[in-house]
Amino acid sequence: MLGKMTKQMLTGNASIAWGVRLSDVDYIPAYPVTPQTEIIESLSKWIREGQMDAGFVTMDSEHSMITAAGAASATGVRVFTATSSQGLMYGFEMLYTVSGWRVPFVMANVSRGLSSPITLEPDHNDILAARDTGFLQIHCETCQEALDSILIAYRLAEDKSVLLPAIVNMDGFYLSFTREPVEIPNKEIVREFLPPYKPTHAFFRASQPMAQGVAVLGGHIYSYFKYQMHMANNNALSIYKEVSEEFKETFGRGYGTVEGYMLDDAEYVLIMSNSFSAMGKAAVKRAREKGLRIGLLRLRLLRPFPEEDIREALKGRKASAVIDQNISVGKGGILYSEIAGVLYNEKQRPLLLSFIGGLGGKNISDAEFDFIFDAMMNAYSTGNVPQPALLYTEAELEEMERLKRVAGKG
Amino acid sequence: MIKSIKDLTFEEQMLPGTPACAGCGGLLALRHCLKALGEKTVIVNAAGCFTLLCVYPFTPFKSSWLYTAMACAPAGAQGVRDALNILIKKGRLDEKEDLKVVVLTGDGAAYDMGLSSTSGAIYRNLDFYYICYDNEAYGNTGFQSSGATPFGSKTGTTLPAELNPLGSELSKKDLFEIWRSHKPPYLATISPSHPVDIANKFKKCEGIKGPKLFIAHSPCPPGWATEPRLSAKFAKLAVETGIWPLKEALYGEVKHTLIPKKFKPVEEYLSEQGRFAHLFKPIRQEEAIKNIQERVNRYWK
Amino acid sequence: MLKVRFHGRGGQGAKIASRVLGTAAFLEGYYAQDFPLYGAERRGAPIAAFTRISKEPILERGVISEPDVIVVMDETLLDDPLANPLSGLGKEGLVFINTTHKAEDIKKRYRIDANVLTLDITKISLDILGKPILSALAGGAASKIVRLKETSLKEAVTRELSDITHEKGLIEKNIEASIYCFNALPSVLIKSNASHKKSDVITMPFEAADISSPSVTIPANTPLKKTGNWRIFKPVWDYELCTKCMTCVMRCPDGCIRVNEEGFPYSDYENCKGCMICAEECPAKAIRKEREVHAW
Ligand SMILES: Cc1ncc(C[n+]2csc(CCOP(=O)(O)OP(=O)(O)O)c2C)c(N)n1
Ligand code: SF4
Ligand code: SF4
Ligand code: SF4
Repeated sequence: MLGKMTKQMLTGNASIAWGVRLSDVDYIPAYPVTPQTEIIESLSKWIREGQMDAGFVTMDSEHSMITAAGAASATGVRVFTATSSQGLMYGFEMLYTVSGWRVPFVMANVSRGLSSPITLEPDHNDILAARDTGFLQIHCETCQEALDSILIAYRLAEDKSVLLPAIVNMDGFYLSFTREPVEIPNKEIVREFLPPYKPTHAFFRASQPMAQGVAVLGGHIYSYFKYQMHMANNNALSIYKEVSEEFKETFGRGYGTVEGYMLDDAEYVLIMSNSFSAMGKAAVKRAREKGLRIGLLRLRLLRPFPEEDIREALKGRKASAVIDQNISVGKGGILYSEIAGVLYNEKQRPLLLSFIGGLGGKNISDAEFDFIFDAMMNAYSTGNVPQPALLYTEAELEEMERLKRVAGKG
Repeated sequence: MIKSIKDLTFEEQMLPGTPACAGCGGLLALRHCLKALGEKTVIVNAAGCFTLLCVYPFTPFKSSWLYTAMACAPAGAQGVRDALNILIKKGRLDEKEDLKVVVLTGDGAAYDMGLSSTSGAIYRNLDFYYICYDNEAYGNTGFQSSGATPFGSKTGTTLPAELNPLGSELSKKDLFEIWRSHKPPYLATISPSHPVDIANKFKKCEGIKGPKLFIAHSPCPPGWATEPRLSAKFAKLAVETGIWPLKEALYGEVKHTLIPKKFKPVEEYLSEQGRFAHLFKPIRQEEAIKNIQERVNRYWK
Repeated sequence: MLKVRFHGRGGQGAKIASRVLGTAAFLEGYYAQDFPLYGAERRGAPIAAFTRISKEPILERGVISEPDVIVVMDETLLDDPLANPLSGLGKEGLVFINTTHKAEDIKKRYRIDANVLTLDITKISLDILGKPILSALAGGAASKIVRLKETSLKEAVTRELSDITHEKGLIEKNIEASIYCFNALPSVLIKSNASHKKSDVITMPFEAADISSPSVTIPANTPLKKTGNWRIFKPVWDYELCTKCMTCVMRCPDGCIRVNEEGFPYSDYENCKGCMICAEECPAKAIRKEREVHAW
């Protein structure tokens, strides 16, 4: 049953806002930060115009904002909030704190490279810094996916066997400010998919006192609570499959924990996440036209990490390459390490190559994709896996030379 | 208006058995505040000694509690208050289930790290209570100097030593005035030695919507290096010497609720506290003692 | 290796006692390790501290769960379910207890199989120091028990106390008290306690957030903690003198004082921490302070 749906040209930010509007969210504490601001502006406008029945408050910082979001959720309402990069870092202490409260609100993060140097365009160091906090994480490639993921995130987060907050991530600029046609689902149908939030584990009311977020002393007590969070987060894997199945039946679109593109018969696999995956898909398509058996695996559910699905997707391949749009300074690509961990105990596993690309929104050109494809094939034929490398072109370095001279560094 | 200590309610909102130190002045202040607030409260607490009031699986409170973090208890209060309002407005919670939202923090959180979130909450006219137990240092971490540490106090980070014989060279921030500049409807200083004053102040602001803020002077035996039995006495002496003025500001207008008929010299308050002992022994720091007395005199002029 | 565990109440000096012992052993050329365990509790609440002494480098860290020697600096701790000071004690082990009672009586009363030594070090500290700060005394007792030398103890007390106080006289008195305890106890041979209790590794069962969130849904249950065990002195009311002014009731930080049917105040001794504010504040001087002896 698809119901009545409308399609519109929407930015990623507007798509998220629509997702929130459709989810009957009660409360939105907010704080502006580029490139997320348009989300909270849209929501604020709808609330002021009476199109959404929710409380909206501009807080004094993201630290306060995430606290207020968690506290409101701990009181028993459905909460949304949004941030990006510097804001996520500013509120970092509270990410761990509120997820420990087991409160299922949803937050959008619009990825942006982290200072210093301060910049505006996307990479994923911000969101991946939050990977250990307890939040579920869904990473999106398209505006439609961003909208849909908000609905899915609430279902997941509020599931009785999960009850953890969730982040829906999308890239700044490449999605946040980019318009494309998006189907806005019918509200009545959304309501069926996402029933009202009625917590039995965390609320405040006079007749049933509750002390929440209390301290613990002793490693065995702390370990219990932490590991329960871990198990709850992992529960979201199987729940995700049910929910996305139901989503597909209801809305006609489905999203796996990972997405395969031209993967079926692929011998070589490119692994990416978020909006740059589209460029990766284009490169894969070009390679296919040249007769190369290359496919792409896009990581979508980052927490819980769909280890089994990743293993399955990479089974029997000759080589795969991870493009990390992030850098753990002093170590390298974060997702490369995570995927390597997933594959390590497999008897037959593909060679695994690591590339850092797209930092601070740097473009990844055809030549760079071709370079990766060559490297994978070469590694397979020689058995030698190249050192992790940065994707960077000669032209880019020349441009850097010019800028350095202007800066007096030449 | 309550006249005598005998008229205070015997109803307790917080039961014994807490991990707070024997003789904790802040706990005594909190006990009286909660008596005045009644049973329908939710305390939103910041990192500090009182975080440990609720250690799994225990709570001393008859009502509810949420521990946040050091800087953001007022933001937590915002979330709780707003959520309760929404639930009631949307008919999902009976009005009888409503709670008074009470921020509880030490001075370190109030004067320093949480200043921004408190400023935000007052600015947004959040309907909440704020109880700051002011033990004049970071108590939970072992008593290091905070923005509330008075001139001359010894703390873990202002040890009187050869190069700095006076202890803390800096003076206490005036949180009352910092908060008052935000124009909250009600603001008061209180002391655990004056429970009737506490009760009356809470009575006075009952029913006022918006921020209702309290700064409680809180003798702290381990930090002040005083005997537990003397906590009430030092609280009283602070009032009687004029060091801790009992006052309130209703819509910004300041009124003292107790003006000592005859001020005791500050020395009486200082000399028996370990944290000020270096001002008297081995050498009497005449200048410093005079300086403290003059500040008090200037205030009351 | 010898493993010593100190149990005291915050402010009594368990941490410094463990350091006195550690330093004394170090001065005699042993490998030594000492550290306190900080709990939530503050002054008056149960705390523990640990010292390891060995001829070889020490490869253990953290809490000592199976000690050879236990120093209980406050007899009331023996009744404290949260402190649980005798846990992990083997038959070969030794417990020193600060109490007014005799070792045989203590053994019977608390059903202790291991060796027990007792001494009223609170009285000694009140006599010599004028206050119940037991660090040097407990350190002295422990040094004797593990057979260290008096000279090392003396030096250790000096070093440890110089870190906290510059008062020469106070350090001298602490040395005196410490040596007094050292000499009042026999030196004993302790066999290292090798028993290891085994508990199997399990798979953590999942529980939904209704149960597994860190929240407490029973209100006001702290009275179960029985902080009455913290007391060294106890407030005792004399109703002949009491004017029922209610000052004491309103001055108790913990809210331990209630009013009986005749309108007289009385304390909930199960939780009264013995801060003595009530006694200090009573205008009629109707509350006296009594040394808390564990009468049984
Ligand atoms: C962000 C952060 N920094 C530091 C701390 C460590 N910390 C815990 S309690 C505390 C002292 C708080 O002092 P105050 O607000 O005066 O309360 P008190 O401890 O005196 O009760 C500090 C610094 C913390 N919990 N969080
Ligand atoms: S350290 Fe001070 S403020 Fe903290 S619990 Fe002890 S007496 Fe109270
Ligand atoms: S303070 Fe003294 S006189 Fe007053 S009620 Fe208590 S015991 Fe009686
Ligand atoms: S000694 Fe007195 S004031 Fe202190 S806890 Fe006991 S009853 Fe309360």
